[in-house]
Amino acid sequence: MAAPSMAAALAASLPAPSAAPTPVAPTYEAIPPSMSTLIDVEAEISLECVQLDGLVVSKILKHACDSSSSSPIGLLLGIDLDGVLEVSNSFALPYHSGDDDDKSAKSVARYQASMLRSLKEVQGDDSIVGFYQASTLGAFFNQNLIDLQAIHQDKLRHGGVVVVHDVSQTARGNASFRAFRLTSAFQDAYKKSNFSTASLASHQLTFSSILEELPLKIHTNPLLSAFLGEFSSPSRNALGSSSASAIPPSFSVLDLNSGGLTKNLEHIVDALDNYRNEEGNLAYLSRQIARERAKADNYVAKRKEESAARVAQGLAPLPEEDVTRLFKIPPEPSRLESMLQLGQVDAYAKSLAETTSTGLVKMYAATAGSGV
Amino acid sequence: MPLGPPSSAIHIQPAVSPHMQNAPRTPTSITIHPVALFSILDHYLRRKDDQDRVIGTLLGTRTDTHVEVRTSFAVLHSETSEQVAVDMDYHRAMYDLHHKVNPKEVIVGWYSTGSNLNTYSALIQNFYSQETAPHQAIHVSLDTGVEPGQPAGVKGYVSSPVGVFPKPENCVFVPVPVELRFRDSERSGVDLLTSTALSSSSTSSQPLSDLTILESSIQNVISMIDRVLTYVRAVLAGEAKGDAAIGRYLMDTLGASTDDLEKGGFNGRLQDTLMISYLANLVRAQAEVSSRLALVTAS
Repeated sequence: MAAPSMAAALAASLPAPSAAPTPVAPTYEAIPPSMSTLIDVEAEISLECVQLDGLVVSKILKHACDSSSSSPIGLLLGIDLDGVLEVSNSFALPYHSGDDDDKSAKSVARYQASMLRSLKEVQGDDSIVGFYQASTLGAFFNQNLIDLQAIHQDKLRHGGVVVVHDVSQTARGNASFRAFRLTSAFQDAYKKSNFSTASLASHQLTFSSILEELPLKIHTNPLLSAFLGEFSSPSRNALGSSSASAIPPSFSVLDLNSGGLTKNLEHIVDALDNYRNEEGNLAYLSRQIARERAKADNYVAKRKEESAARVAQGLAPLPEEDVTRLFKIPPEPSRLESMLQLGQVDAYAKSLAETTSTGLVKMYAATAGSGV
Repeated sequence: MPLGPPSSAIHIQPAVSPHMQNAPRTPTSITIHPVALFSILDHYLRRKDDQDRVIGTLLGTRTDTHVEVRTSFAVLHSETSEQVAVDMDYHRAMYDLHHKVNPKEVIVGWYSTGSNLNTYSALIQNFYSQETAPHQAIHVSLDTGVEPGQPAGVKGYVSSPVGVFPKPENCVFVPVPVELRFRDSERSGVDLLTSTALSSSSTSSQPLSDLTILESSIQNVISMIDRVLTYVRAVLAGEAKGDAAIGRYLMDTLGASTDDLEKGGFNGRLQDTLMISYLANLVRAQAEVSSRLALVTAS
C-alpha cells in the first residue's frame, strides 16, 4: 500500500490546482520519487553514454559475419534513461545490391515498419534509437552513413547514434564497438548542403570533426550473465570427471602472425588513389571556375574602360549590364567527398598502425626470453 | 561441449533402413548459435506475468543428420488448461521478414523455456513438423534455472509418433545432443560478453585497446603457469601423485624453444613490421596535414 500514500503525499506537496475544471485524465501509476528526476519528456537530459545489451552485441556480430554486403546496416532499438541510451534490441536491414534506389528504399521502409509492429506484439522495444554499421579495418566514413545519420539526427529523439563495429579487429581478437553522432558544426554545414572551401573553413571541418564519439558500455542482464557463467565454467558429466566448458578459454590474441597487413596496405593504396582522383576533379573544377571568373573580370574591366573613354569623349556611358548572365560561373564543388576519402585513408592507416604496434609488442615479447 | 546439466540419456542413432533411403534422416546432433540462445533469454525476460513459458521459432540450416540453429524469434502463444493456441499469422509474417535478410536460414524447429514436455508440446511439435516437412522439426528446451531445483541448461529433442494409432497430441521426445557453436571470428565477441558477465557490475566500457586485451591474455597465461608450477612442485615434493598424461602434455607444450626465432626470417619480419608501422604513421600525419591545408587555402 506504499504507492497510493506516496501519490497522496506528492499531491499534497503540489500547489493547489486552479479552479478551472480539469478534464478527466486517465489514471496512471504514481511515479516513484526516485525516478521523478528522470522524467524527460522533451529529451532535455543530454546523452552521455550508450549502453549495448549482450543480445545486441551478439546480433551485430552475427549479422556482420553473415552478410554479403561490405557494410551491413541494422537498426538499434531501446530507450534513453538519465543520459544513458540503453540499446536493448536490434534487427538487421535487408541488403539490396539492386540498382533501383527508390524501390529498395520503399521496401526497406516497409520491412522496418512491419518488423517494429511484430516486435511490439511480443513486448519487445519498438523505438528506434539509431543504427549500426559493420566495417572492415576501421574505415566507416562513407556517404551512406553520413546521410542516414543526418536523417536520424533530425528525426529521432536525442538525434540517435550510430554504432560502428569493426569486423577485422574482431577477427583479430578485440571485438570493438564504438558509438558516434554527427557534430553540430557538420550538421550545420550539411543542412545548408554547403561544403565549399569557405564553409569548411568557417565551420572548422576536417574529417576528424565530422563525428563525435560517445562513450560506449556493454551490459549483460543478470539472466544472461548467469548463463554465460554457466557456459564458461567446466561442467561435470555423469561419470564425475570434469569435462570441457561450452566456451573454452581462447588465446588467439597471442598469435604472433599478424596477418592481413598486406590487405590493409592495399586498402590504403586504393583509398589514396580514390582520394587523388577526387582531388584531381576538384582541382579541375576550381581551375575552370578561375578561368570563367577571369573572363568575366576581363569583360567588366574592358567595359569600364570603354565607358570611361566614352565619358571622356562626352558621350553617355554604356548601360550597366548583368555580367553573371553572360558568363556562367559554375558553383564551387562540394568538398565533402574528398573529406570522406581522406577520412578513409586515415582510418585505414590508423588500423594498420594499431595492428603493427601490437604485433611489435608481441614479437619483442616472444624474443625476450631467448636473449636475441 | 555440453550445454546442459549431465543427463543419463543414451543418444540412439537409428540405422537407415533400405526402403527409407529417400526419406530425410533424423537429426542426430544440434548446434546452436549464441544469438539464438540470447534471443530466447531476452524473450523469457519480456514474457507476460501470466505466461509460464514462452515459445518461438528456430531458424537455421540443416545437413543430412545435423541441424545448425542460427537464430530464433519469439512467437505469440497462449496456453490454458483447455487449449493451446499459436499465432500462426505472426509466425509466418515474422519468418518472411527474417527470410528477406537471410534467405539461407529456414525453419528447423521451435524452442520453449522450461523443461516441461506435455501434451501441448506435442501439439506444437506437430504444427512445426508441418512447417518443416519433409524434414523433422527439432525442439530445443531451455531451462532458465530460475525455478529452484532445476539447473540451467539447454536440451534438444526430435519427436517420433507413439501408439498404435498415432495422434498429434501423443509423441515421444527423443533427446539429441546440443552444442554451442559460433565462428572463430565471433570468438572475441563472445569473450567480451563473458568477461562483461563475470565483472561485478555486469558492464564494461568500450573500446578496449588491443594492448589491454593482450595484457589480460598474458596475465591469464601467467596464472596458468603458476598453477602448473604449484602442481609440479607438489609432485616433486611427493605431496601429490604425478599423472603421466599431464606430464606428457606439459612436455609437449613447454618443450617448444625460441631458438628457431633467430632463423626463419623472424628478424626480417620484425623489420618489415617496423617499416609498415612507420609508413602507417606517415600516412596519418600526411592526411592530417592535408585536411588542415584544405581549410587554409580558403583565404
